[in-house]
Amino acid sequence: MAKSKSQEHKSVWPRTYDWLDERLGLKSIAAFLSKKTVPVHKQTYWYYWGGITLTLFIIQIITGILLMVYYRPGPEAYDSVRKITYEYEFGWLIRSIHHWAANLMILSVFVHMFSAFFMHAYRKPREFNWWTGIGLLLLTLTFAFSGYLLPFDDLSYFATKIGLEIPQSIPVIGPILASIARGGTDVTELTIQRFFTLHVIILPLTIFLFLTIHLALMLKHGSAVPDSETAKPAAARKNIKFFPDFFFKDFSMWLVAAGVCFFLAALFPPQLGSPADQLRPAPEGIHPEWYFMSPYMLLKLFGRIFPGMFGALLSVFIMTFAVIIWVAVPLYDPEGKAAKRARIIYYIGVAAAASLLILTAWAYLDI
Amino acid sequence: MNYPFWVVPIIGSGWVIGIVAIIHILISHFAVGGGFYLVLAERRAIKLGRSDWLEYIKKHSRFFLLLTVVAGAMTGVGIWFSIGLTSPEATSSLIHNFVLGWAAEWTFFLVEIAAILVYYHTWNKVSQKVHMTIGWIYGIAAWMSLFIINGILTFMLYPGKAWLATAGTGGEASAFWSAFFNPGYFPSLVFRTLICLSLAGIFALITASRLDSKKQGALKEDVVKWSAKWLMPSFLLLPFATVWYFHSMPSANRGLFKRGISTIGQGIFTQITREAVYLVAASFIVFVLVYFLAWKQPKAITTGQTLIILLLAFSILGAAEHIREMARKPYVVGDYMYANGTRVSERENFNKNGYLSGSIWATDAEKHDWALIDNAEENRASERNAKTTVSNSAVLDQLFAVDAASKKRIHLRGELMFRGQCMACHTENGYRAMRKLLRGRDKVSIESMMKLLYEFKNDSIYRAFMPPLVGTKGEISALVEFLAGITKR
Repeated sequence: MAKSKSQEHKSVWPRTYDWLDERLGLKSIAAFLSKKTVPVHKQTYWYYWGGITLTLFIIQIITGILLMVYYRPGPEAYDSVRKITYEYEFGWLIRSIHHWAANLMILSVFVHMFSAFFMHAYRKPREFNWWTGIGLLLLTLTFAFSGYLLPFDDLSYFATKIGLEIPQSIPVIGPILASIARGGTDVTELTIQRFFTLHVIILPLTIFLFLTIHLALMLKHGSAVPDSETAKPAAARKNIKFFPDFFFKDFSMWLVAAGVCFFLAALFPPQLGSPADQLRPAPEGIHPEWYFMSPYMLLKLFGRIFPGMFGALLSVFIMTFAVIIWVAVPLYDPEGKAAKRARIIYYIGVAAAASLLILTAWAYLDI
Repeated sequence: MNYPFWVVPIIGSGWVIGIVAIIHILISHFAVGGGFYLVLAERRAIKLGRSDWLEYIKKHSRFFLLLTVVAGAMTGVGIWFSIGLTSPEATSSLIHNFVLGWAAEWTFFLVEIAAILVYYHTWNKVSQKVHMTIGWIYGIAAWMSLFIINGILTFMLYPGKAWLATAGTGGEASAFWSAFFNPGYFPSLVFRTLICLSLAGIFALITASRLDSKKQGALKEDVVKWSAKWLMPSFLLLPFATVWYFHSMPSANRGLFKRGISTIGQGIFTQITREAVYLVAASFIVFVLVYFLAWKQPKAITTGQTLIILLLAFSILGAAEHIREMARKPYVVGDYMYANGTRVSERENFNKNGYLSGSIWATDAEKHDWALIDNAEENRASERNAKTTVSNSAVLDQLFAVDAASKKRIHLRGELMFRGQCMACHTENGYRAMRKLLRGRDKVSIESMMKLLYEFKNDSIYRAFMPPLVGTKGEISALVEFLAGITKR
């Protein structure tokens, strides 16, 4: 078929776009995205945190795959991480980016969760956004916990050992669960293999499932707005197109997050401790990573007040109860019509954020 | 040895220079690029007949004047104050070798200050042609001050063979031009000029972002897009300028960058590589941010977003300047003076006659005591024909029994050695803390480490970054005692 005159004069990029559009339907995707809008108000910056979390997760996937090229789970785990950190060219950088992106991702998940909470993003029709979001938070924390053991140095060994004592204290099923996770009575190379499988296969598959639902629902329902915006008449509210207007801003924030991650990774790379030794005593002042410091402090606190099994049980019960309340929030305040309920939920949110911050700070002061 | 030692707890004196200098460099580079920005923006606004744009430039020039003249001058004085106290010998060398250079730099600086004041105060009071001429005078004077200071800064990385041949002979002035136009001069000048232009664009984005998108939408769009273009030269040429600059460095300095490629095991010795990695990544991010936030959505850009870009640019500049500082290690002036102010030529003399022998920071009585200890130590060593030396504390106990005042004098000797030779880069318990670096080492181990530093062998891991330790046996023993004391505190 003869080409039209306008097609002949098109430069390479438009022609490539046309070629792809014909096969992939790019224009219809762009048209769909351009119909989507994002509210603009004084708190719009909270909307960036979901994208920032996703960016950090993508960084985790890329660096994780690169680390797998040299990482060997099992008895050689420590030596392979030692070589990555101290021998292979830019191995330290990949490991450091993976380490910092994990920390920043957890931070951004928490920020995203609380910003969603205070914007009432759990209310109808976003209940499933909220639940999948909580699922993603728990999966992220499990990712962090399982990844922490993989270098198998003394710090990761003892931190995992202490960490597994939390599920161990759950009556009846606790010891069984802990034993399944460990692959025996102690943390060994078998535990590494189990954690590795969890870290690189089970958790990624599960998180992809949750993420897909979470993002699809986000596209369907759009962004929630704070009370100050809801109070305005519809005509007074401002919106911008998701694509390209909001996307460019969002993308820029992803880059800033990547920049912060790169800054920390380049200037503060994690070192590797001595190889794990089950016969040695735990290093002095050993404690979990910052994101587990609040439950750790709770355990310590109740352990002091009620020494023995009861203290541990009570703290596990409180943590479980807190998660259940958090999950049940959309059921208690489904539409925000009951002012009293909305107020109670608000106080619960403030109390949750304050407890996390205070317990974490307290835990560090208590080391 | 005629200068005081400046004790800055926790952060160390180096960081005082670092903090002041990075802020100054940000402002002074903006002062250079911003001058050209003002005059070229004015020319464009006149050409397009845009009175609204001219009004914006007038406001921008007030921001420019206040920031560059007030903060720039304050931090400039701050740099002189802090380098004079931290590296007095190096500062003295720079002043004495570049008298003509400094005189010219200050002349241009004076022209710069006068021109920008006149430029701002003559808005709408003189003809546009005269006003723009004043702007050009400012821009050229500002760039000329960079032209000169660049010669002195790159001289510190490597002064060149011709000047080094005259160093210490009294005939240094004959090699002034070869020292000034040293091997790193032109790549550094191109590099810095590009940075100046980028900063002019970034600072203009900050002021332009404050324009009201509703009332001045067209103006905001034009100014933001035009300002974003000021990063284009850097985007295209900075990678080449960086490679050129890198290859102009002496091979030993270039080698420092390779250390951190495969390991982070050597701690701060690999920091230079890590900073270079960040520099490349962050520079790329800045360009992409400017493209998406300023070029693609000029009307929607916010001040917060432009401040993030500035913050990133600030971190890049800080990393670049720190790299420059680290790349000339173990020298403060390449092949001429070590980072702690000891001249290469002085090493032998200090080892023979003592590092503190000419110090005005010790009394004659103290020096007398030190000489007694050294003699006693030598006698004991020769009597026993022993290879190992007796520690100062043992000799001290014999000579002075329980005389606390004498012990204090011995302690002072070690402390003065520490202040003179270590404190330009280390603190006792803060930045690059000796307590942390020597943790777990006993006195014998510290003594072995000092021996490594003293011998300064070619294969020593410390040689690439640290100056040789100089002084007599007694002085080094006193330093060992002092350092061992730090680890116990």
